[in-house]
Amino acid sequence: MDNVKDLLRDADPLHREPPSSADRDRARAAVLAAAHASARTNRGTVGRRVALAAGVAALVGLAAAGSRVWSGATVHAAAVRFEARLAEKTPTLDLLPVHIAGSTETLYLHRDAIVTNDDVLGASVVPAQDPSQFNIGIRFTQTGAERMRAATASHIGRPMALMIDGEVVMAPTVRSIISTDALLTGNYTRAEADRIANGMLLK
Amino acid sequence: MNGVPMAQALPVALADSAADRLAALFDAHYDRLYRLARRLAPSADAARDLVQETFLRAARAPHRIPSGARDEEAWLVRVLINIQRDEWRKSAVRARDTFTPTAAADPEAAFIARTTVWRALDALAPRRRAVVVMHELEDMRVDDIAALLGITSVTVRWHLSRGRRELARVIGVEDGGRHGQR
Repeated sequence: MDNVKDLLRDADPLHREPPSSADRDRARAAVLAAAHASARTNRGTVGRRVALAAGVAALVGLAAAGSRVWSGATVHAAAVRFEARLAEKTPTLDLLPVHIAGSTETLYLHRDAIVTNDDVLGASVVPAQDPSQFNIGIRFTQTGAERMRAATASHIGRPMALMIDGEVVMAPTVRSIISTDALLTGNYTRAEADRIANGMLLK
Repeated sequence: MNGVPMAQALPVALADSAADRLAALFDAHYDRLYRLARRLAPSADAARDLVQETFLRAARAPHRIPSGARDEEAWLVRVLINIQRDEWRKSAVRARDTFTPTAAADPEAAFIARTTVWRALDALAPRRRAVVVMHELEDMRVDDIAALLGITSVTVRWHLSRGRRELARVIGVEDGGRHGQR
């Protein structure tokens, strides 16, 4: 194996990843749902804003990155209390507005935590494609997985706030239903990834 | 949970023809687009997003999609590459946070071994990468790639030549494919 073609063929990820009909079905449902929302929006009838919101559920999360913020005051090793909450990009009366530092974005938090440290069975730092960056693999307990599944099933394309010590450290977009295992990709430095993973594991 | 389930949030009536066309478009082209996207994007998750966004653009602009399987495919492929090009540009300035389910984690060594060569592709701009992928992995002919991307065969050969040279330099091997351009 000494040329580019052979090396590429050997490294081709499609050789190792069987196609997932579940992913295909989810994508199909999201696309058709967005088309419905778009059609409603285009008609310009009452509830245009509502239709937009419905469309956003399918549209925004696909391309948009989550927001991530670190407060200089708390970025250091400490006993960290972790919790995850659903969040929204549009306000309602029962949501808690949180300003995302470093951007003009405000996030609106649901009041109840979905999972906390007690629901995390394991959290590990895994290397990203760039060897200087790291992501975090998380495994939830059975109870935590059930709560995550229930919460994320109706929240795809919308943000979830991950909080440490009561502060939103990142708000990734939920891409699909989360249950037992999840990968948090933020391309962190090793120190950041360690801090989040360790914070999740504290009991 | 407070989120409104999509099924409840959606209006029932969408013009049947538009919905049917989009569904047919998805069913006809998803697999081909995913295979291309997986070879253009850094992860399976990113590839799924890329394909989904491609179809969402189709959903938002149904009147712009040409008819006929080949023209549909060409339109979708070009949209997909354009989206990836936008992402490629943005990725230089900010990291992306996502939260996705995953199977059991890859062993670190296997992950690194697998991505060492593949990562070299990340150095190529998306359209050049697409040309290389189509020719080297999908075994498409130069003329067919040109037709699909709406560029000339000369341009395709240029991208192939430059792409292979860049890859060979990054990987550190001889470019063994330069005589194989059909």
